[in-house]
Amino acid sequence: MKTIKTGILVIGSGAAGLSASVYAAQYTHENILVIDKGAVGKSGSTVGAVQIASLGSWSHQDDHEEAFLQDIEKSGRGLSDPSLTKSIADDIRQRLKEITDWGLKLDKNEEQEVAVYETSGHSFSRSVSARKGKAGLGILQTLIRKANAMNHIDMWSDVITLQLVKSAGRIIGAVVLDQRTNEPYLIQSQAVILATGGIGQLYPITSNPVQSTGDGFSLSLQAGAQLIDMEQIQFYPVSMIAPQSIAGLCISFYHFSKLYNRDGERFMKRYQPDYLENTTRDQLSIAIGKEVAAGRETDHGGVWLDASEVIENVKRQFPHEYDLCKDRGIDLSKQHAEVGPAAHFMMGGVKINSNASSSIPRLFIAGETSGGLHGANRLGNNALSECLVFGARAGIEAARILEEETPVDHQSFADYELGWAKRLLTYIHQPHSSKSIKRRPYVIKEKIQSVLGNYVGVIRTKDGLCKAQQDLKEIQEQLFETRVANPDAYSRDILDFIEASHMLQTSLAIVRSAQMRTESRGAHYHVDYPEQEIDTYHTCIQVENENMKLSKKPVKGV
Amino acid sequence: MKKLLVNIQRSGDQQEVFEVEYQPGMTVLDVLERIYQKHDPSIAYRFSCRTGLCTTCMMMINGKPGLSCLKMASPDDGILHLAPLPKGETVKDLVKKM
Repeated sequence: MKTIKTGILVIGSGAAGLSASVYAAQYTHENILVIDKGAVGKSGSTVGAVQIASLGSWSHQDDHEEAFLQDIEKSGRGLSDPSLTKSIADDIRQRLKEITDWGLKLDKNEEQEVAVYETSGHSFSRSVSARKGKAGLGILQTLIRKANAMNHIDMWSDVITLQLVKSAGRIIGAVVLDQRTNEPYLIQSQAVILATGGIGQLYPITSNPVQSTGDGFSLSLQAGAQLIDMEQIQFYPVSMIAPQSIAGLCISFYHFSKLYNRDGERFMKRYQPDYLENTTRDQLSIAIGKEVAAGRETDHGGVWLDASEVIENVKRQFPHEYDLCKDRGIDLSKQHAEVGPAAHFMMGGVKINSNASSSIPRLFIAGETSGGLHGANRLGNNALSECLVFGARAGIEAARILEEETPVDHQSFADYELGWAKRLLTYIHQPHSSKSIKRRPYVIKEKIQSVLGNYVGVIRTKDGLCKAQQDLKEIQEQLFETRVANPDAYSRDILDFIEASHMLQTSLAIVRSAQMRTESRGAHYHVDYPEQEIDTYHTCIQVENENMKLSKKPVKGV
Repeated sequence: MKKLLVNIQRSGDQQEVFEVEYQPGMTVLDVLERIYQKHDPSIAYRFSCRTGLCTTCMMMINGKPGLSCLKMASPDDGILHLAPLPKGETVKDLVKKM
């Protein structure tokens, strides 16, 4: 296997990965290599992010760091880690200032001041935007420009990670596959920053891009890192569910629209008479889920959205969403849209400390792949804030290690434990006869989506989770019986095969965590345990000797 | 069931025509997904967000640059012609180096 050497390896090039890279680059002169399995800077959830929550010159006079972190902790239902909420509240003002210094232009209002918007759950208006409601895109373009201007940052598209390399208890690289040539590489580094985003593609309907297959959770598990609260998956409550070509599109204006069930009832009057649709994402998703489960759903299994009364506001604030719906035959000014929850954001993830360090030395996690900040419900527009703050912290800490600690001598670790990567590569490259096996890897992905959609969605049951576990086990056995029909370079079949392997591992972690949480809290609604328990605990998962080890840990400070 | 004829300019200056089962509401990207799953596993194309933001799915659609996730496919418009963007290095089929 060919070897590449770099100071820091960054896996993922969304807002978290790119922030990590540009901040690391300011603290070290060693080389930083950013890889992405898609096109660098264009293939993650950041692209679709509309706004970012931050303190700044626009803040209300009574808004401050303490108020921001209190909102996050209140929304987190006891599962937010105080050291992480403090980090984001402390840093976000400065991080956003820096990125505007680097060229990001925030959207202005008619008075030519920074336009600031309300968001459910934030006690003050904190959401700002760029590029007219495309804040994520604006941030990516700014960070890419910054990274391009730094000579010691290299970016490499179309490279997927198979396995992290661990030696003497530290993470010192990764085995990757260059999809353009089908060539595997051993990347040797002094630290690895994982910023691979979330898990939306584990579900049949998702707001996430096609690349969100949970790779980072699977890679971390295999490396022995601890994952927490993986059952806490945010479903964006109001996304399009029909037509199919825009299924999963988030409707950002649901909090000032009206929702009706198939009987024409504005059902939120029953669930949240004070807040109606303007409630937190977990509460709204669960209410819609209950309406669907009670048989009051539309033809495609959702509810109706009516935005006609606020349409001028919609056109002004969210023109992209309005235009896209109109293009697909739904004119929101006079028509209702069929909407429902879509898999949106993994709030659990790899456990980190306030330096974005995982439980394994030299492995850092930033953005959605990390767990513990948002707890059991992420507030709107806090995803980009998390990426900027913890991307920077991961980059700075990784650079510090590079500069201050004794470098790992890769020569002395000749015998890497690369068994899993080698198994994947061997299977990919062996001849696949079309006669004996028909099932291709994309079918495995569809099966996983179907299992999680059926049994691990908004509403969960004991029997359903048990069935999910059994089904996933069966699907796991089928993975190494699939036919990789195209063995050539840039093969989607090979990509699907590797992604399916990550999806299986991550799915199992989600199901096992959901089984462990015998209560309902935040986004995890369990029919057999509908109440929230008094004791608050994290569900923890770690792989030891190839087995998933489950445990419950009390939250800090309780 | 209506059929959609799709002509794709593939690597090595090859032209290939596929006859795809048409379903109402299909985008050009949906058509490519169908070709990958049911006709030819080796077809290569890029996409990510599916909502017109990332622009990685841009290609020549009937002679004009367009986003395959936004462009609707129609069996009434004759053959659908797809080709990689003319500028820059082509990795494979419709995929440009990024």
